[in-house]
Amino acid sequence: MVKFYGLLRRQVQPPVLEISTAELNILQLLQLAERRTGQNFLDELLDPEKKLLTGTIILVNGENIRLKQNLETRVSGGDTVDLFSPAGGG
Amino acid sequence: MNGWMGKIAKIDLGSLEQETVAIDDEMRRRYLGGRGLGVKLYTDLCSAKTDPFAPDNALIFMTGPLTGTVMTSGRYAVVSRSPLTGTICDSSSGGSFGAVLKSAGLDGLVIQGRADHPVYLYVHDGGIEVRDASSLWGLNTQQTQKAIQEQTPAKTSVACIGPAGENRVAFAAIMNDKDRAAGRGGMGAVMGAKNLKAIAASGSQTVAIADPEGYKAMNARIERIVDKNPVTGKSLQVLGTSVLVNIINAHGMFPTENFRRGMFNDAEGTSGEKIAESLLQRQSACYKCPIGCGRTTRTKNKHGEGPEYETVWAFGAQLGVSDLTAITEANYACNELGLDTITMGSTIGCAMELSETGAWKEKLDWGDASKLLALVEDTAYRRGIGAELALGSKRLAEKYGRPELAMQVKGMEIPAYDPRGVQGMALSYATSNRGGCHMRAYMISPEILGHPVFLDRFSTVGKAEIVALFQDISALVDSTVLCRFLQIAMGISTFTEMLRTVTGLDFSDEELLKIGRRIYTLERVFNNRAGFSRGDDTLPPRFFNEELQTGSSRHRVVRLEEMLDDYYSVRGWDKEGVPLPRTLAELGL
Ligand code: SF4
Repeated sequence: MVKFYGLLRRQVQPPVLEISTAELNILQLLQLAERRTGQNFLDELLDPEKKLLTGTIILVNGENIRLKQNLETRVSGGDTVDLFSPAGGG
Repeated sequence: MNGWMGKIAKIDLGSLEQETVAIDDEMRRRYLGGRGLGVKLYTDLCSAKTDPFAPDNALIFMTGPLTGTVMTSGRYAVVSRSPLTGTICDSSSGGSFGAVLKSAGLDGLVIQGRADHPVYLYVHDGGIEVRDASSLWGLNTQQTQKAIQEQTPAKTSVACIGPAGENRVAFAAIMNDKDRAAGRGGMGAVMGAKNLKAIAASGSQTVAIADPEGYKAMNARIERIVDKNPVTGKSLQVLGTSVLVNIINAHGMFPTENFRRGMFNDAEGTSGEKIAESLLQRQSACYKCPIGCGRTTRTKNKHGEGPEYETVWAFGAQLGVSDLTAITEANYACNELGLDTITMGSTIGCAMELSETGAWKEKLDWGDASKLLALVEDTAYRRGIGAELALGSKRLAEKYGRPELAMQVKGMEIPAYDPRGVQGMALSYATSNRGGCHMRAYMISPEILGHPVFLDRFSTVGKAEIVALFQDISALVDSTVLCRFLQIAMGISTFTEMLRTVTGLDFSDEELLKIGRRIYTLERVFNNRAGFSRGDDTLPPRFFNEELQTGSSRHRVVRLEEMLDDYYSVRGWDKEGVPLPRTLAELGL
C-alpha cells in the first residue's frame, strides 16, 4: 500500500494506492505509482537526476529508506510505503 | 551606527526614573542583540536569587542588528527569569513589533520596578511615555491592542498581556500584532507582576545599512534561496507547520495521552493537510516574510490564527482529542487570554492522567473536548480547578504526589516529539537552558526531516557535538533576531553575510558560532547559580523506563547517559555540568 502526504495530496486523490505486484525497488514503485495515478508527482520527491531531494521522507513500514538502500530498497505486497514531500515546522 | 539604533531605554516603573544607555562595541561584538544581549543585560542586573515576580526583577524587550532589515526581521526577544522554571528564559515572537520598536528609535527596553497602578508604555522618538492602563486591565489581548491603537498613531504595534498575565499564571504569554506570541516560560506573568499591561511602539526611523548596494543584491539572492527551497518556498506556505502531524505520527513518536503512546489514531483528522482543506482561510505572514507559515482559520462560530503544529498536538493527541474545531477554538482562547498553548495543553494532559490514576479526584477524561474551553478560561482567571492548572504540570503533579506524571524538563513542558523516538532531541530537551523546549536545538531537522543532513534517529553516536552546535547556532540566530525557519534554507555563512552587510562589522562564521556558545554558556552559568546542575539535565522517568508499544519507535527508550558526559565534555563543562574556568576564560566570561 502506498500512502501520499503533504504536497503530494494536491495531485493524488484519494491519497492511498493499493499496488499488488512482484517485488520491486522504491524507484520502480514510484514510477509505477505515477502511471497508475496518472499524476506526475516525482519532482516533489526527487531531483532531476532521480536522487532523493533533501527533506524527502519515504518510510517502508515506518522505517526511513535512507537507513536502508535508499531508492534501491526492495518492497513487496504486504509492505506499507509512506511518501512525504519535504517538510518543516516546529 | 549601522544595524543597531544604538540606544536601550531603561525604566523603573516604581520610581518612574528613566535613562538611555548607548550600546557599546563590546555589547555588539560579543552579544549582538535579542536573546544574547538580553541575557547579558539581565545577568548584569539581577542575581540568581531574584524572584521572578519581585519588583527588582528585570523584564527585557530586545531587538537585534538585523531587526527591521532583511526578511523575517519583525521579531523581538523577551528575557527575564521564568516563573515557570526558575531558569533564565528568553521567549521570541514574530509579527512586526520588533521592527516597529526600532523605528521608534530603540534597540530595546529594560523594565524594572512595579507600577502602583496598571500602566502601559508608549514608545516613540527614542523615549517612553508611561500611560494609565486602569481601564484596560481585565481586557483580553485583542481588546487591549485595539483600545491602545485607538489612542495612538496609525501603525502602532502593541505587545500586551491578557487576563492570564494579569493573574500571574506561570505560563502566561505576551501577545503582539494580534495573535503572535512570546509564548513560553511565563514572560506575560512577569509583565503582569509589574502592573504593565502593554508596550506600544510607533515611529518612522529607519535602520542604517552599512553597504546599501550589497544589501540589495544580497536580499535578491536570499529571496531566491528561500523561494527555491521546497520547504520554505512551498510546504510551509501551503500546509503550515501542522504538516508535521502525519510525519511525526508515522515515526511512532507523536505523543498521545500524556506521552503514554507514540501514535494517535486520529492524527489524520488533525493534520496540516486536513486543516488546509477545512478551516484554512488563508496563510498569514510576519513582517517582511515571504514564507508565511501562519494560518488564518475559521470555525463555524469564530475566526482567528492557528493552530500551529505544537498547538494541534497540545489540545489534540496529548489529550486524546480529535475534534479539530475544539482544538482550534482552544487555541483562539489561549491567544485572547494570553496563555502558552504547549504548557496549557500538556498540563491538562497531566491532569487527565492524575485523574485516571485516582491521585486527583477531579474527573477529566481522555478525549473529552467538551471541557477544553472552560479549562482554558478557568486557568487564565485562576477559577476552580483552573487555579491548580495555572501552576503548570510540574507543580500540579507534585501537589498530588505523582511528580513523574508531569512531562517536563526543569518545569517546562516538553513539546510534540516523543524523545524515545529521537535520541538527539532527547539530549536537546534535557540540556535546554529554559527547560523542555524544542527550539534550543531542533534535532528533528536532521533526525527526522533530513536537513541539512540525515541522521539515524536511534543512534546516540556523535549527537552530543551536534546538539551543542545546534544550540549555539540557535542562540546566534535568536540574537540577530531572525526567524528560525530561515535555517531550513540557509547555513551559518548566509547569516554571517547578512550581519556583515547590514552592520559593516567584519564578522566571521567562527566568531558568530563563538557568540552563540558564549550566550549559551552565560545562560548556563546563571542556571548553575540558581541551583541547576546535572541532576536537572534529565527527563521524566517514563522515557527511560517505559518502552513505546506501537509503531516504528516501539521498544525504544531514551539513552541519555550514553550522551550526557560527551555533551559536557564538548561544552567544556565538568561532570556536574558546570562550565570549567578555562571555558569561561576562552569565552571571555
Ligand atoms: S516563517 Fe512563519 S514564523 Fe517565521 S517569520 Fe515567516 S510567518 Fe513568521
